[in-house]
Amino acid sequence: MNINPVLLKELKVRMRGWRAAGIIALYLLILSLVALFIIYTTFMNPYGSSIDPQVSIGAYTGLAVIQFILIMFIVPALTAGAIAGEREKQTLDLVLCTKLRPISIITGKLFASTSQTILLIISSLPLFSMVFLFGGISIKEIIQLFGFYIMTAVTIGSIGIFFSTYLRRTTAATVFTYGTVAFLAFGTIFIGVFYIRIFYQWNYQSFLPILYANPLVGFSSMLAGQFGYFGGGLNFIPGFHIANPVNNPSALKAIEPWLANVIFDAVLSVVLLTLSAIRINPIRKSIFSIFKLKRKSKRTAVDNVE
Amino acid sequence: MLSIKDLNKKYGRFQAVTDLNLEISEGEIFGFVGPNGAGKTTTMKIMCGLLRATSGEITLDGVDVIRHSKRIKDKIGYMPDFFGVYDDLKVNEYLEFYASIYNIKGPEKKKITDDLLELVDLSHKREAYVDSLSRGMKQRLCLARSLVHNPRLLVLDEPASGMDPRARVEMKEILKNLKSMGKTIIISSHILPELAELCTSVGIIDKGSMVISGSVSEIMQQVYSKKVIKIKVKDRLAEAEMLLKEFPFVDKLVSGEDTIQVGFEGDDEDMSRVLSALITKGIPVISFAQLDGNLEDVFMRVTKGDEE
Repeated sequence: MNINPVLLKELKVRMRGWRAAGIIALYLLILSLVALFIIYTTFMNPYGSSIDPQVSIGAYTGLAVIQFILIMFIVPALTAGAIAGEREKQTLDLVLCTKLRPISIITGKLFASTSQTILLIISSLPLFSMVFLFGGISIKEIIQLFGFYIMTAVTIGSIGIFFSTYLRRTTAATVFTYGTVAFLAFGTIFIGVFYIRIFYQWNYQSFLPILYANPLVGFSSMLAGQFGYFGGGLNFIPGFHIANPVNNPSALKAIEPWLANVIFDAVLSVVLLTLSAIRINPIRKSIFSIFKLKRKSKRTAVDNVE
Repeated sequence: MLSIKDLNKKYGRFQAVTDLNLEISEGEIFGFVGPNGAGKTTTMKIMCGLLRATSGEITLDGVDVIRHSKRIKDKIGYMPDFFGVYDDLKVNEYLEFYASIYNIKGPEKKKITDDLLELVDLSHKREAYVDSLSRGMKQRLCLARSLVHNPRLLVLDEPASGMDPRARVEMKEILKNLKSMGKTIIISSHILPELAELCTSVGIIDKGSMVISGSVSEIMQQVYSKKVIKIKVKDRLAEAEMLLKEFPFVDKLVSGEDTIQVGFEGDDEDMSRVLSALITKGIPVISFAQLDGNLEDVFMRVTKGDEE
């Protein structure tokens, strides 16, 4: 089997020494402390029983949210320097002058950066299995959650890679990546709020399509769906109105927001990675030069007619 | 082997390369000379598929290097003037990474890595981190990297820049080795005497245009238009001068204490005729030699530099 050489090299370098092990240990320590805190506070509740599925749901939700936030913070830092860093270190030309295709360089870099995050996600699986002790959460739900994590990590990674190819400096790429992630997570909500306020005077009883792009909305809708609530805890957000899909026969409404978010993420990732591959191809034809050529040939045709 | 036709490259309004034409044959070592910003690196990058030319064509064995860049990349090894190395890789891992890009696997990969490290004299550093190497060693490693897929054409942009004299001599030895292995090499450098010694032909580029190109001796002849012969004689200097003036191809004589410098327009046969005439006359000739032109001097003559 041919493994992408860039991916192989990056994995070798990233996993070398104590740094990788240290990051995993620290990450699991944070998650463990969160899980212990949630379980402790639930047990301390004088009205709760010791073996209550609510304990596992609380711990599961707490862990899931913390892990999701960590992913949104870690992935931009790992990916935004992927190509810009190569440019700064003057190693990009050396790879580009080999027969490796630009898309292979881009995907190698993306999967190397996100694989570190995926390793963190997978290493947290034993912590999540703790919730099985109390019941209330099935393996299917955990698989669904981890699939959503991976998709989100790949999408944020693609955003990081995109800015890393278009901007020369790692710092600028990192800032723009965090900015875009913040826009998707909060900007879309603000836009939705203003839209509903201006055009509907708060009277909007449906799911606002812009929120399909929002990872937080997708994530909470998935958790809500897992616990059987439609709307979850985010019903206070205008436009986040999730009706039971069974009662909504139209195709778009029948797609749950988390699934729509996954589809949006997949399309966005493919588009950004393709644009990144085009960008790093040193002998690409500029779009402007294509227009110039078209204009020139048109002018020549007109001249010939005259 | 490599043919450049009417190559032009513009960066916005700045014309970096203008109507550059060049032919380089198999096995040749071509020295690319020019002041900073003359267009050497741009031309080399276009050759290696790292830049798109504004117009013109570069073909390698008749194949267009831009249109068929993937096919061509197997045949070209490139060493840029400024290059980075992955600090966190070991020397052997660095070469193995590039070997794997060219689908070289298993024992073959190890053999190639070992052979190349031996060629550039870095076998003793195979387990060292690239970061710990000296500048000269990093440059040799980068040269080894450009050879990992056994390319026929090597494009080396200032391979000895920033090296100390010892490292430069070592680099020169490696290049001589590569020459004996039959590689075609295009090399740019500012160290002109070394180029003159190493290269079979030289091209001088200035402000994006090729000013002059050919073998070093051809260039000398074009620039100086005539040869200069230095003759050292014992005692009978005036008699030698009289005799030399009789030859129609002797243009100018400059006499020293025991030497005469002769401006000479004839060919090699005429030169031997002059020497035998001096000896037949019984003039004690101690030395008789054509003065080698200095490439540095040629470079200064044909390039104008930035005069502000």
